[in-house]
Amino acid sequence: MSDELKPDELLDKVDHTPSQGTWMTESVQIRPGMYCYAAKPESVETLGLPNARSWNPMEADWKLPENWQEIIHNGIKDRLEKFRTFKIFMDVCVRCGACADKCHFFLGTGDPKNMPVLRAELLRSVYRNDFTTAGKLLQKIPGGDKLGGGRPLTLDVLKEWWYYFFQCTECRRCSVFCPYGIDTAEITIMGRELLNLLGLNIDWIATPVSNCYQTGNHLGIQPHAFKDMLDFFTEDIEEITGVDVAPQFNKKGADILFITPSGDVFADPGTYTCQGYMILFKYLKDKYDLDVTWSTYASEGGNFGFFTSHETMKRLNAKMYAEAKRLGVKWILGGECGHMWRVINQYMDTMNGPADFLEEPVNPITGTKFENAKSTKMVHITEFTADLIKHGKLELDKSRNANRVMTFHDSCNPARGMGLLDEPRYIIENTCDNFYEMPINTIREQTFCCGSGAGLNAGENIELRMAGGLPRANAVKYVHDKFGVNTLGTICAIDRAALSTLMEYWVPDVEVYGIHELVGNALILPGEQEREMDLRMEPLPGKEEADE
Amino acid sequence: MNFNQKLEQNKKQIIDQWFLHTINSYPQETARVLGKLKNRFDNPVGSATAHSLEESFNLLLQKEIDIDKIETALDSIIRIRAVQSFSASQAVGFVFELKKIIKTVLEGERDNDFDGKIDEMALAAFNRFMKCRENIFLLKATESKRRIHSAFERAGLVTELKEKELLDSDKS
Repeated sequence: MSDELKPDELLDKVDHTPSQGTWMTESVQIRPGMYCYAAKPESVETLGLPNARSWNPMEADWKLPENWQEIIHNGIKDRLEKFRTFKIFMDVCVRCGACADKCHFFLGTGDPKNMPVLRAELLRSVYRNDFTTAGKLLQKIPGGDKLGGGRPLTLDVLKEWWYYFFQCTECRRCSVFCPYGIDTAEITIMGRELLNLLGLNIDWIATPVSNCYQTGNHLGIQPHAFKDMLDFFTEDIEEITGVDVAPQFNKKGADILFITPSGDVFADPGTYTCQGYMILFKYLKDKYDLDVTWSTYASEGGNFGFFTSHETMKRLNAKMYAEAKRLGVKWILGGECGHMWRVINQYMDTMNGPADFLEEPVNPITGTKFENAKSTKMVHITEFTADLIKHGKLELDKSRNANRVMTFHDSCNPARGMGLLDEPRYIIENTCDNFYEMPINTIREQTFCCGSGAGLNAGENIELRMAGGLPRANAVKYVHDKFGVNTLGTICAIDRAALSTLMEYWVPDVEVYGIHELVGNALILPGEQEREMDLRMEPLPGKEEADE
Repeated sequence: MNFNQKLEQNKKQIIDQWFLHTINSYPQETARVLGKLKNRFDNPVGSATAHSLEESFNLLLQKEIDIDKIETALDSIIRIRAVQSFSASQAVGFVFELKKIIKTVLEGERDNDFDGKIDEMALAAFNRFMKCRENIFLLKATESKRRIHSAFERAGLVTELKEKELLDSDKS
């Protein structure tokens, strides 16, 4: 850990030997199973991003503009001037190697270019060559480029950027271990921004971004279909509980606007988490008259613009505030999502804020002020629910989750991007009796990524995903074997989808649950019938015989 | 001392060399990291490889080999190699290397029966490799359908004939 290392010890670790340089001259081998398909031209066009055309990464010609090197050079120059972090991160790395073995993609794929230090060097080597005095001088001396660690930007180098910057989930585990605090995710973010200047995005990002920009969510689901899905969940919940939990849509003057990733509404098993939110809101309406509305326009909490460029992220994020303003709510409550919260916690306020028209979030039922959300005006639902439980405001029947032996996967962005570590655990412990932590070096700030974040949860790159998810799955397998854990809880929509497949490959007996699915099962709604089934329509513990 | 006893006596050396050889199938910079057996959660590939090789070797030392048990013991190493950048032969090739290692450690001595056991283990490794690859393709084929299509289907937004209905229609 960085704070255990004294400056002298750090200096002792610095290797002054020039690198052998072989990695610099090897051509990239693009392997099927490891990369995502290229962005469709129509999706690139929607946002007016450059160089929309059909192209295939496996073909030699990537159909780049003639002056592509100049575009990239100017792109780097602009960003070095605009973002001080980028300049510092380019200059300050001493290649100590502390990050090298901390990346799930390196550990899983065994590809040295997935060591965070080396992935960053792919870009840094070009920076050294073109933007540093030493680099410019050294390239004139025979062998000097090797000494300075610089190399010119060739087509091979560009292809290598594309291949490896889309093999990073921006999870920031490596940065936890960096003695200089270099945020390697920001290097990937910059790398992807530069690639986008040439139209080199992947389709699993570009099409959701285009959908979100046009329709309001990543899947391109129109308002009526969004409402249809929640109506359908209402019917299911009524069958299970006997209570009509029909939500409110686009209600002007509601207390709170609720926004969650569209994956919760359309993708299993997130749909059960979504039903958990609906049950909670009904409970709060009946007991405490809390007025929560959903929006069919701001129908996406996630923001794949974040994986494209900062400008795109800003454009998609703006609709949350716009809708909150239109509806005149007091503040925004956000669902269980991963990168959504990094965008909100670290970027929203300076991108689209200040949201002066909203109130500082206060839980009207408990009086708790969410100080951390004072500026963004947006509260994470696990903070909200944990606060309700802490104040004894929810009636919970833990026995309904008695067949769940839980462990908890800290999603990278809420854990490392906003420090949300204890609230989800508190909810699990109050809704379920069986909870076992995975080993300490795989959870909380040191959590291992699911291997599919930052827009990489496509089907065509499944080998990359299974390899990248290995360190996480390995820790789940340990608690499964040791404690009989059968359920992996998580607070991220990508996780709910990605970890389900990951578990099928590595630990097939483990199912994936959102935390509010547990809440939905345990919460006793006023006037409910005796429940026989959980939200997945499986018999509740002790009700198995009744089912037969 | 019979051949098996000699293997028992030199077990540690054989397994260490086998591990080293297997880890060296990765690029040099990677092998340096994966070869360090520290915490099993910080180095899952190195740890699973070491564990899997040791368990498999112990099973080979049994009088009668149980091929199912060997295949299960190989699962963790093969499951990993099946998603890494190895060809099929590279992924299972480490098994045959055991013959060379034993010959070197026992200074040229070899045993036909034991070589036969190693061949059987290689076939088990290949079986497991194929199962893992089939698993990958199946996950790839069903994932998107399960994720999104099933939600739409439940909501009645799309409809499709179920496998059972198709089979029934065949009967009619």
